[in-house]
Amino acid sequence: MIKRYDLIVVGAGPAGLSAAIEAAKNGLKPIVFDENAKPGGQLFKQIHKFFGSKEHKAKIRGFNIGDELLREASENGVEVVLNATVIGLYDGKEVTVKIGEEILHYKGDSVLIATGASENMVTFKGWTTPGVIGAGAAQTMMNLHHIKPGNKVLMLGSGNVGLVVSYQLMQAGCEVVALVDAAPRIGGYGVHAAKIARCGVPFYLSHTIVEVTGAEAVNGVTIAKLDENFKFIEGTEKTFEVDTVCVAVGLSPMSQLLKQAGCEMKDTPGGFVPVCDDSGATSIPGIYAAGDVAGIEEASSAMIEGRMSGARIANYLGYLDEDALQARLAELEQALSSLRKGMFAPENRGKLVTKTEEGIDTSMSLLEKGYVADDEIEKYPGVTKGSGVHPVIECTQNIPCNPCQDACPKGCISIGSNITSLPVVKGDVACIGCGMCVASCSGQAIFLVEDDIGDGYGTVTLPYEFLPLPEVGQKGIALGRDGKEVCKAEVINVRSSTAFDHTHLLTMKVSTDMVMKARFFKAE
Amino acid sequence: MERIQTHPILGDSPKGKLVSFTYDGQVLQGIEGEPISAALRVAGVMTHRYTKKRHEPRGVFCAIGRCTDCVMVVNGMPNIRTCITPLEEGMDVRTQYGASDKREEATL
Repeated sequence: MIKRYDLIVVGAGPAGLSAAIEAAKNGLKPIVFDENAKPGGQLFKQIHKFFGSKEHKAKIRGFNIGDELLREASENGVEVVLNATVIGLYDGKEVTVKIGEEILHYKGDSVLIATGASENMVTFKGWTTPGVIGAGAAQTMMNLHHIKPGNKVLMLGSGNVGLVVSYQLMQAGCEVVALVDAAPRIGGYGVHAAKIARCGVPFYLSHTIVEVTGAEAVNGVTIAKLDENFKFIEGTEKTFEVDTVCVAVGLSPMSQLLKQAGCEMKDTPGGFVPVCDDSGATSIPGIYAAGDVAGIEEASSAMIEGRMSGARIANYLGYLDEDALQARLAELEQALSSLRKGMFAPENRGKLVTKTEEGIDTSMSLLEKGYVADDEIEKYPGVTKGSGVHPVIECTQNIPCNPCQDACPKGCISIGSNITSLPVVKGDVACIGCGMCVASCSGQAIFLVEDDIGDGYGTVTLPYEFLPLPEVGQKGIALGRDGKEVCKAEVINVRSSTAFDHTHLLTMKVSTDMVMKARFFKAE
Repeated sequence: MERIQTHPILGDSPKGKLVSFTYDGQVLQGIEGEPISAALRVAGVMTHRYTKKRHEPRGVFCAIGRCTDCVMVVNGMPNIRTCITPLEEGMDVRTQYGASDKREEATL
């Protein structure tokens, strides 16, 4: 017997769950199939704080957002079937699902495809050697299964995935020996690059892998510089002893079911995607697509897209009238468009943005080496001088993010209504040194600086998310933005709080002339 | 590779139940319910199979059940994706050669 549902959702990730929740809230009975043993898609591997604003759940870590989503789904009676692989989508919105060794048939009055994306690969000599893994695989191993993917890792790819996973590898206790990208400039957020660079990880832009060595498992990797035609330049080879090579070279939408169903498709630089409107309606009435399968973005936008599709489907099936739909879509559209603004907006993909919205020159050092140079940093409006403790916000690219603005109890920090504006530190408000801004910054780009505490010393307070956590009195070396040794440092305070959500505030004492250079603490 | 005991964001790793299984006849231990591939990686096993024609080693690549590079012969059944198959007490896990656990299936 074929079972019928108002809505069949394929994929229990951020887009699929959000759509099912929205539809259920409007009275539909949705069922969600997912091939995995656990719901949530890739959200539970995301241990960093998300960007955006409050409505996008900014400064909340991905896995916590996943928990919230699951709770909301269960509260709204969304039925999720796991270990259930949808293998076909046919005429009349009939779906075949493989559960165990059985194939079951379902029929939906509407079907939403939210199957996400899979990782791309590049080939090089030795690319199939055990130990060459996807960056997503590394995330899965360390953040879900609690094992180290490797001890010494080289990362290929400097998009946000490559940057975020590199940092997570270090959090898991792995050594990242280098971050390599064939492109001449770093692809992901500068703040993500900066937090790796200041730990001392070198960036090799315009470089790629020549060869991975090792007969049965990776034991080394050689990279070389590329000329403007992407050909290796002889004599520029560098070899690293590693046991793991991570590949983060983009994602491709998993749109096979939509193609099979006969939806109109298009080939884009971002992959093979369905032609669909803003709410995910494809060329076939009743079939929708949301999230990465409709175009690669990120979990935050996937959740909004899912809600839009859910509302649209509720209207399609007569559960939501046109006015209510338009009102809801307008609200969601606004949230979505704010995420698509700034230097990393879809229309800027692959382009070099030379100036910020404020008219300040983009730091080329940040794009090419992963850190803002010491002589560039004071150009940005979050970097100010003051007597006494004050925030120094090293946020230099227009990205959609504003939690710092709400974090300060004194109202020191202002971004304004344009979510991509660079934060400004107001000179007329006194900082109390509480550190809420430091902990709230998803990019870990805020520091508290006090120039002079006497005896020729000042302090720098920085966000710290590694183990072991240094102790008060511990002596070590302060590293600069470039990860190189700057001067001696001593930890004089370590603050931890539930409100900081696992970001510790480490205050180190350095000589006064180094407070604008020292950005990381390395124990001796 | 080692297990992560304590993580700066995720805290202490959950303590699971240790179970025994065999890898090519050798007794190994892992945590019940974790992917077979996780237990193998902790034990230092990187090669899961050899390709049929060229006898090349393959191991985990995607870790989410998509790429099928990590398949092995589990309890006599070939082509089992070890990265998404939960470990059980007493499992018989074998290196896969071509499409079986017989070495001659993957020779030059």
